[in-house]
Amino acid sequence: MRTLVFIPAWNEEASIASVIADVGKSIPGADILVVDDGSGDATAERAREAGALVASLPFNQGLGAALQTGYLYALRNSYDACAHLDADGQHPAEEVARLLGEVTADRADLVIGSRYHSGAVAESGDYRPTFSRRIGIGVFRFFLTLATRQRFTDTTSGMRAANRRVMALFSQHYSPDFAEIESLQLAVRQGLRVEELPVRMLERAGGSSFLTPLRSAFFIFKGLVVLLVGQFRPRQAEAER
Amino acid sequence: MRALVLAAAGEGGQVHLTSQTRIVAAVIALFFMLLILDLIRRDRLQERYSVIWFVAGLGMLAGAAFPGLLELVADAMGVRNTNVALFSIVLLLLLGLALNFSVIMSRQAAQITRLAQERAIEKALAEKQTAEGRNGGSAGEQGLEPKKQSFES
Repeated sequence: MRTLVFIPAWNEEASIASVIADVGKSIPGADILVVDDGSGDATAERAREAGALVASLPFNQGLGAALQTGYLYALRNSYDACAHLDADGQHPAEEVARLLGEVTADRADLVIGSRYHSGAVAESGDYRPTFSRRIGIGVFRFFLTLATRQRFTDTTSGMRAANRRVMALFSQHYSPDFAEIESLQLAVRQGLRVEELPVRMLERAGGSSFLTPLRSAFFIFKGLVVLLVGQFRPRQAEAER
Repeated sequence: MRALVLAAAGEGGQVHLTSQTRIVAAVIALFFMLLILDLIRRDRLQERYSVIWFVAGLGMLAGAAFPGLLELVADAMGVRNTNVALFSIVLLLLLGLALNFSVIMSRQAAQITRLAQERAIEKALAEKQTAEGRNGGSAGEQGLEPKKQSFES
């Protein structure tokens, strides 16, 4: 069983090394790939120093394209399972290991680490969403649940584990604009087993969220359009080649 | 385009084209088509994107040569005022062109993304191979050899 853990990173030189070290400690057997999304800082160098393989996109392409690079790499290089987590230190690698466990036990094709699932225990220093963020989360949760007829609590989680079926699907189809939500809808529509697992997440180590109220509103609007269109996308019989 | 609009500026739905406006419109249309040809010749415009512009040029030329055409089209659209017919046709044409360009742009954006991804992966693999070469070759991994998939349905 070969496992790849990939980390999409854009200008995360401060936190990338500790994230790699954390993954190396908690998931010892896995290969680590950092997808450097056209960073202007020393992210790639820090990652190499920390012992990770680095795939550098020549220019910033957005999170969706970076994640797709990871899935494509995993598919091409015959990994049996892959997982990804954020580069900013919000995602403890031991939780990622639990997601991978679900995939390798073949209980699901795609496993999402959920911050808000009822099982997740809030400790001090743990992740706690702001008010405007909670509204957005609620809206997406409602509509994604409506679209997929499956309950999702954390639609934008960047901590996921997947098997080869998902790699084959996501390396072909992955929306660059609305990666997290549309990919869930797509996976469910393609008949894949998508599962949420409650996980512990931390407050981001550095930097701030990109969401201002106006941006949030636009983000939500765009997301709804994407979801609506996604409902009319053709289903493919089998994405695996 | 402006010449055509001018040419159609009649009153009460009637088009009064003087021979002067017709000549101006025809000359502009010809220059437009020559410009397209020149752009193709100098590799500034690819043939596949030029067809639509050439058709537009021919349309202008036809409008100048046969002013009756416009009235025919307006009649077919059920528009009494030929000016309105002309404006709506031009507007729809431009709308269609803009949409066409958005589609082309989306396709090219997807192609560029895939190209960037392929390059990133290839470079990473090359990097990995040189690293493995330095460490004495076999690191116990057969990177590119496909394995049996245990959970295929």
